[in-house]
Amino acid sequence: MAIKIEILFPEFCNLFGDMSNMLYLQRCLPQGEFVKTPFSEEPLFLRERPSLVYLGPMTERTQEKVIEKLRPYKERLWQLIEEGVCFLFTGNALEVLGEYIETEEGKRLPALALFQLHAKRDMMHRHNSTFLGRLGQEEVMGFKSQFTMAFAPPDYHPFLEVVKGVGLHEKCKTEGIRYKNFVGTYLLGPVLILNPCLTKLLLTQMGLPQAELAFASEIESAYRQRLKDFHAKT
Amino acid sequence: MKRNLRFFFALFFAKGTALVLKLIGRKGTSMPGSWAIILCPDFLGRMPRPKTVVGITGTNGKTTVANMVEDVLSHCGYDFVCNRSGTNVNTGVASSLIANSTFFGKPKKDLAIFELDERSSPKILPYLKPDLLLCTNIFRDSYKRNAHMEFIVDILQQYIPESTRLVLNADDLLCASLKPQNHRSFFGIDRQPGETAQCRNIVQDIRVCPNCGAALSWEFIRYHHIGRASCPQCGFCSPQAGYRVTQIDADENTMTVDCHGHQQKFPMLNSSTINIYNSLSAIALLSQFGLSTEKIAASMEKLSISETRYKEEEVDGKKVILHLAKGQNPIACSRAFENIRDYPGKKAVILFLDDYFDAAHSVENISWYYDTDFEFLNNPDIPQIIAAGARHWDVCLRLLMAGIPPEKISHTAENHQAAELLSKEGIDAVFILYDVYTIGLANQVKDQTKALLSGGKSAGEQQRA
Ligand SMILES: [Zn+2]
Repeated sequence: MAIKIEILFPEFCNLFGDMSNMLYLQRCLPQGEFVKTPFSEEPLFLRERPSLVYLGPMTERTQEKVIEKLRPYKERLWQLIEEGVCFLFTGNALEVLGEYIETEEGKRLPALALFQLHAKRDMMHRHNSTFLGRLGQEEVMGFKSQFTMAFAPPDYHPFLEVVKGVGLHEKCKTEGIRYKNFVGTYLLGPVLILNPCLTKLLLTQMGLPQAELAFASEIESAYRQRLKDFHAKT
Repeated sequence: MKRNLRFFFALFFAKGTALVLKLIGRKGTSMPGSWAIILCPDFLGRMPRPKTVVGITGTNGKTTVANMVEDVLSHCGYDFVCNRSGTNVNTGVASSLIANSTFFGKPKKDLAIFELDERSSPKILPYLKPDLLLCTNIFRDSYKRNAHMEFIVDILQQYIPESTRLVLNADDLLCASLKPQNHRSFFGIDRQPGETAQCRNIVQDIRVCPNCGAALSWEFIRYHHIGRASCPQCGFCSPQAGYRVTQIDADENTMTVDCHGHQQKFPMLNSSTINIYNSLSAIALLSQFGLSTEKIAASMEKLSISETRYKEEEVDGKKVILHLAKGQNPIACSRAFENIRDYPGKKAVILFLDDYFDAAHSVENISWYYDTDFEFLNNPDIPQIIAAGARHWDVCLRLLMAGIPPEKISHTAENHQAAELLSKEGIDAVFILYDVYTIGLANQVKDQTKALLSGGKSAGEQQRA
């Protein structure tokens, strides 16, 4: 099976070192084809069925443009998600697929409404935190740095259970969305490098459970050391 | 804003605090200003401002430039208040103004030179209303504090007063787009040999025309989004600079600046592009302030770069270099890595990248490593890289991701053992990269490194022997 990974709008949606996730996947999948779709072009997922579609965090103005850019392809996106195509949306990329984003003035910017989730912006209070969560038997670590908090109904499909830190919002005990093979999380930056278990999950969902992790021993040592610090210091 | 009872209470309390601090021998704290603002939140708006206020802001270089500007002005006989020994946020500015005031708050000196934190603009600029404001550049910085460049551009755009005359970087389209209605002057460096339209950095925060969104056409990219561009669709282009570096003479250590048609040679403190930009922006600001270019040039002869930011020492013909690399600032670190790559000879590098506070009490968000061009360190002239500190495994991984062969990398959790991992074979220079808060550590490791290079055994070797 040919592996084709689509990276959406990498020229803009890369605020926190996020492209490293794809560079790392490339190291794990040297035979894979990584397609960068610039904002000015039509996404690959319209014509093809990629193994993975990735979208990283973006500025608020870019977010509004990305929503309008993807709006005509809303049905296609939902079809692919329902069919089990892998998606990874990190940072505020998840909000693009929610119902709306509420600005500080109370204005609601309609998003694609694929998921029952909405976000509220507060531009003068940036939320920064460390996060430790559970994914089945595994522990997932990461960092949040964002202007929004997100809200979802109680029966939504969460990605992680909060162990330490903040979920979708301050009182929420779950983080992100996982529906079929779609994973959306507010964790930003090199989430796949920070969490080898997440990379494994992604590769398995892509039908490549036997794929070897690049720099496996170093990435495991870094993970263990960091996990120890997350337990002790956060 | 009028001065009311609350203001005077805050002022007297702050003056009292300053007096107590002075009596117990503490200098340069922003505590008086903090108290004043706690007691009277709009204190800066009510405090009478000096007749002329000059501000220096921007992501990188503002401290160096502010020091340079202040040194030149002192040399030219100006008397002014500044926040050099304090902080660059609202409380630091308030403290400086309080220190400069009479009993009832009237300014003693008529001129103020302030380094201003760009993130604090909303709390400073509308009150202080600088007459002249330099913005050195706008880059990605700490994700926590500064979020992203669009956020910083927006707050500057919103809070810079209409009356403020601006001095802006023509080679930085983010910076050059600020306040188009204000009176603005620009500085820039002409295209240098070897500069192409190709970006060699991970981060490039301007890619499309700010007017119409079309992909920009670049005449050259110096680094990141610094360069000159135009829009093939709407005609938008980088502004013409009134202050242009037209020639750099590295042997003579001079640079020639075209100042609105008048050619003037200036001494160059250091030939790195960053330092040329720093000097150039200081020249443009001082010229806009009213000094003649001859006078600025003559005063600049007397300057040296502050030793806390870059320091070279020599031992047995080998160099040991302390290089400041502001943590969590991907651009500052990328520039440092490029400097190391371009430095002559074979180099070993010791990296102290941990955030001092996060390493002690939390876990640092290391995402910024992946916005930083560690790839510059992947070079045959850099045979050894040592990473030390709490996140040493993460730095090691980043170096591997940059394609650096594992045999070149060593790492340890113990900061003080970094020098022990050094091998002096085939090395002409050792770079020690540190953050503002780890200068003490960097100096210790520098001494250990010098001992090792001068023929003595390293502490580790001595122990093992
Ligand atoms: Zn245009």
